Amino acid sequence: MDKGSNEVLLEIMGLHKEYDGITALENINLSIKKGEVVVALGPSGCGKSTLLRCLNGLESIQGGDIKFRNKSLINKDVNWQEIRQHIGMVFQSYDLFPHMTVMENILLGPIKVQKRNKFEVMEQAKQLLDRVGLLERLNSYPRQLSGGQKQRIAIVRALCMNPDIMLFDEVTASLDPEMVREVLEVILGLAKQGMTMVIVTHEMSFAQAVADKIVFIDKGSICEISEPDVFFTNPETERAKHFLNIFQY
Amino acid sequence: MQSLGISVLFKGMNMQRLFDGLLVTAKIAFISIVIGSFLGIVLGVIWTSKSKWIRSVCRIYLEVFRIIPILVWLFIMYFGVTTALNLHVSGEITSIIVFTLWGAAEMGDIVRGALESLPKHQIESGKAIGLSFWGLYRYILIPQAIRRMLPGAINLATRMVKTTSLVVLIGVIDVIKVGQQIIEFSRLEVPTASFWVYGFVFILYFIICYPLSMLAKRLENKWNG
Amino acid sequence: MIKIKRIIPLAVSVVLALGVLAGCSASTNTSNAKSSIDEIKERGTIKIGVFSDKNPFGYVDANGKNQGFDVYIAKRFAKDLLGDESKVEFVLVDAASRVAYLESNKVDIIMANFTVTDERKQKVDFANPYMKVSLGIVSPDSALINSIDQLKGKKAIVAKGTTAETYLTKNYPDIEQLKFEQYTEIFEALKDGRGTAIVNDNTEVIAWAKQNPGFTVGVPSLGGQDTIAPAVKKGNKELLDWINNELTALGKENFIHKAYDVTLADVYGEDYKESLVIEGGK
Repeated sequence: MDKGSNEVLLEIMGLHKEYDGITALENINLSIKKGEVVVALGPSGCGKSTLLRCLNGLESIQGGDIKFRNKSLINKDVNWQEIRQHIGMVFQSYDLFPHMTVMENILLGPIKVQKRNKFEVMEQAKQLLDRVGLLERLNSYPRQLSGGQKQRIAIVRALCMNPDIMLFDEVTASLDPEMVREVLEVILGLAKQGMTMVIVTHEMSFAQAVADKIVFIDKGSICEISEPDVFFTNPETERAKHFLNIFQY
Repeated sequence: MQSLGISVLFKGMNMQRLFDGLLVTAKIAFISIVIGSFLGIVLGVIWTSKSKWIRSVCRIYLEVFRIIPILVWLFIMYFGVTTALNLHVSGEITSIIVFTLWGAAEMGDIVRGALESLPKHQIESGKAIGLSFWGLYRYILIPQAIRRMLPGAINLATRMVKTTSLVVLIGVIDVIKVGQQIIEFSRLEVPTASFWVYGFVFILYFIICYPLSMLAKRLENKWNG
Repeated sequence: MIKIKRIIPLAVSVVLALGVLAGCSASTNTSNAKSSIDEIKERGTIKIGVFSDKNPFGYVDANGKNQGFDVYIAKRFAKDLLGDESKVEFVLVDAASRVAYLESNKVDIIMANFTVTDERKQKVDFANPYMKVSLGIVSPDSALINSIDQLKGKKAIVAKGTTAETYLTKNYPDIEQLKFEQYTEIFEALKDGRGTAIVNDNTEVIAWAKQNPGFTVGVPSLGGQDTIAPAVKKGNKELLDWINNELTALGKENFIHKAYDVTLADVYGEDYKESLVIEGGK
């Protein structure tokens, strides 16, 4: 547990992103320290998923800079294949490779990309699968799994690359309600172990429980960055209040 | 007269000749399907390029083979190109070249369709675990595309087998041509020869095409099972 | 098959267009090269295009050997030019591609029952003929038709799309025509008495009458006479002259008659020999 360590892993400075001349993100400044859990909240279409995708090089940016361990990622020579091994990502859609078993899904990156020893990776994969309660499914195909199980496997697949930071893009948004909890618990477990994470979600109470820092984004820019307790009880901005009201019945 | 009909098949060297013809048909079809499929996969991958220019070149290549009948291609290659270049290329080699180019064009389109039908997030999750462009195609996209394109590819293969009957027009003696020679030779003595010979040729084509569709069914079952 | 038949003329015209383009380079090649006869002698074989599925003119027997009237004469050409009848390489051609084979130098001579027409003369050079064909009329012995005039006011059986149909429509509009799609159908129709006589290519009706006692070809040659001749590539005068001299020489020993006896007599009988054979190229 080294929460609050001062080493900055990822730093976003003045980020500007547009699609075909329409601004999606404007002047985003945010730094993520090692061991920190940052949760991005905001109305649909506010740009929080886009921000996450920029951090992984899935979207190009039109201005500003992103630094990972003090090295700029905004540079033509950046080797994204190398960077992505350190920045794991899990998506909203169930994104397992359907033609591979659970184990093959997990092994692909470590063995083919990182060229690691197969037996060592398998051991690690089994431990991780055990931790998410799916060890017995290692020979199953994705189509034999429920949505929640698939997302837990996807998390294991990303973890097995030994990333420095994990990005979660609305990973429970497509799940049936009864499966949301099993996935969130896995993420909560990671937080307790000190994994650095950036999470985009609509699960408010989960956000409150897991976050060290809440980033509220609206209309492509950051409105407020607060401690979770402050944000959920007494947000600074009117827009954040309005947003939170929508979630109260 | 009726009882004589089937005996046409066994007269002289006829049976041997029919099988020799079948071998020619099978050889042309097999070689073109194998090389054409390989080239088609390469073409299909290139085809998914974002460059409009590359996409149009691929499309033109396919349309050129769709619009101009295969028969015309055989003629162009056999009589036209070889004369222009003053080469002598046998009808059989010419057929293999034409069928391979055609197979590659159609296969490229099938592969392109299969690749484009794959959900976009498959590419993104492949990238997210650090796969390179080639790794992405090799481990994620092509294996999935092959499953999706299988029915189309088998359909193409059987179409190619059947279309080989055109090669007679550039002097290649395939199984159908041998059949016609036998029918014509025995036309006056055995008027029912065409029934027996074409019936037999039908069975021979079935022998080539049936294993293909069986293979397709098996693979589909295996992958879906 | 109908589709294919429609495509063939298109294919041929595309190829011929290419052939014209290629012609420039090809013709310079041949003019520089030595004479066509020397070339054949040097090669040691003569390539002659024949049919493989038109019995009894050019066909392949049950043992895979080329046989027939055209083939018999072609073998003799090889013997006289190269000293051995086995020195002929038979290239099996189809009707639609006969011209293309000559133009692309894939054969030296076409002897595939090649009827001389004005249109074809533009593209290839025909030697003197060795055979003639025309229309013929076959009818039952009991009501034999000996002249086309006897058919007036009666029903003539024809196959659709044939020369016979065109000829009758143009020259004898007062003869009623009973038309069928298939060759086999016209013969059945005559047997059933649905018409008075069949008008068709004389080779076809003669062969059929021979196989079917009770029917006779009363009119063996009718209408315009077509001739059948060997053809060479346009401009190959040397080979053309050689063939014409050869045909004259063969005429002195009545060789084409002999070819008829060996290959056609079984099918057409002795009676029509003079209606079909041209000896000595004339």
